[in-house]
Amino acid sequence: MLSLLLAASEGSPNPVNVDLAPAITALIVFGLVCLVFFTKVWPKIGKGLDDRQAKIRQEIEAAEQAQADARASMERQQEELVKARAEANEMISKAKADAEATARDLRERAQLELGELRDNASQEIRAAKEAAITELHAESAALATAIASRILQREINASDQQNLIDESLRELETARGG
Amino acid sequence: MRLLAFSDNPLGHVVDKAIIGGKNPVFVDTASATPYLTVHMVSLILAGLIAIVIMLYVAGRISTGAESEGHDRYLTKGRFSQMMEVIILYMQEKAIHPVLGDANTKKYLPFLLTLFFFILVCNIVGLFPMLDVQYLGAGLLGSEYEWAFFGGTATSNLAVTATLAVICFIVIQVHAFKELGVKGWLGHLTGGAPLYLLPIMLPVEFMGMLIKPSALAIRLFANMVAGHTLMSMLALFGKMAYGGLGLGGLIGISAISIIAGVAIGFLELFVAFLQAFIFMFLTAVFISQMSHHHEDHHEEYEEGLTEYSEVPAT
Repeated sequence: MLSLLLAASEGSPNPVNVDLAPAITALIVFGLVCLVFFTKVWPKIGKGLDDRQAKIRQEIEAAEQAQADARASMERQQEELVKARAEANEMISKAKADAEATARDLRERAQLELGELRDNASQEIRAAKEAAITELHAESAALATAIASRILQREINASDQQNLIDESLRELETARGG
Repeated sequence: MRLLAFSDNPLGHVVDKAIIGGKNPVFVDTASATPYLTVHMVSLILAGLIAIVIMLYVAGRISTGAESEGHDRYLTKGRFSQMMEVIILYMQEKAIHPVLGDANTKKYLPFLLTLFFFILVCNIVGLFPMLDVQYLGAGLLGSEYEWAFFGGTATSNLAVTATLAVICFIVIQVHAFKELGVKGWLGHLTGGAPLYLLPIMLPVEFMGMLIKPSALAIRLFANMVAGHTLMSMLALFGKMAYGGLGLGGLIGISAISIIAGVAIGFLELFVAFLQAFIFMFLTAVFISQMSHHHEDHHEEYEEGLTEYSEVPAT
């Protein structure tokens, strides 16, 4: 194999041979490639990547801000909810207490009024009874006087009448008791 | 016939060939023409055009679109462009930025990426057996000329890799003068050594300054030549076997050669990327060595650490 390679390499071009024309071509081509890349490729790619990075950063910052706002809003709402719940509880307690107080007041007032009404009614009944009795006495006395006058055919004075009435009443009570 | 399978010399497929002028040109009547044209020169021009067309296309697809596209205007369109974007970002974030830092990355990223993509396209263009297709076509048409106008790997030409290395050398030295100043640059040549060692240190450092880009040129050239020579050898096995073993040998060895050739083809594709990356990466490393923070390396050196401890092995 080695002999074949050596034999083959005899008279063939040397790969280590440095020629000026390919070197100049490489210089010019690489220079042109650099020119195009530096003016048309890397600025575009760099701008595209920078824009995307800026956009992503902006979106992340906006999302983080929105998250922070949402969290703050939620905390505020929770605080308000707790406060509202406390206020509601307080209002309910107060309303319950007020209702109980009102009910108690109403009940007491009703009982009071009821008592007054009862007392008044009792007094009125008593007064009416007394008035009725008085009237009955008067009527009875007048009737008895009239009857007696008719019977006796004479006038009797007031003192007689009173005596007569008292006597009649005693008899009446005696008779009732008997 | 120059068709690889019928040639005797594997190097004949790798070295540059004259088209107009030079030694044994395709157009024999033009042997005395000056300036002359070779297949590697045409390959270079072709690679340059392909690189420009591809990267202009990619730039158009990566750049921000019109506002009418809405949020989609920030997206890279197409898988090829997305792949290229990934390569660009990988180069920037994982290879160049860790070596050069913020300021120098911004300054040298365009040059380094241009270098990488140009070498990569040259390497990949060389993977297509275009010379053989042209030889075959000319042979089938019965032409008296062995028509071949383009093909081969431009980066397997030492003149091409040396030119690229010289460009890198100039960039590195211009950066060194701008960054360190003349005094700093001269100080760098002494490597922080005491005065009595200067007669040794100055030539050594000066040679090192020249050897670094030379190594870039030779590494790329040698890898490309070696890979293509290996492929050529595999292709020649069939002919050799036919000479020794007859038709059976031709068929059997050719089958093995084809399988091995496909495997080596994949390896060559990998090497095409790897060598482009190494050329670009080492240039970045050499630029970084000529930056201000390189003074830290000298301190490390004085503390007994190796000066190139941060430079990965290649």
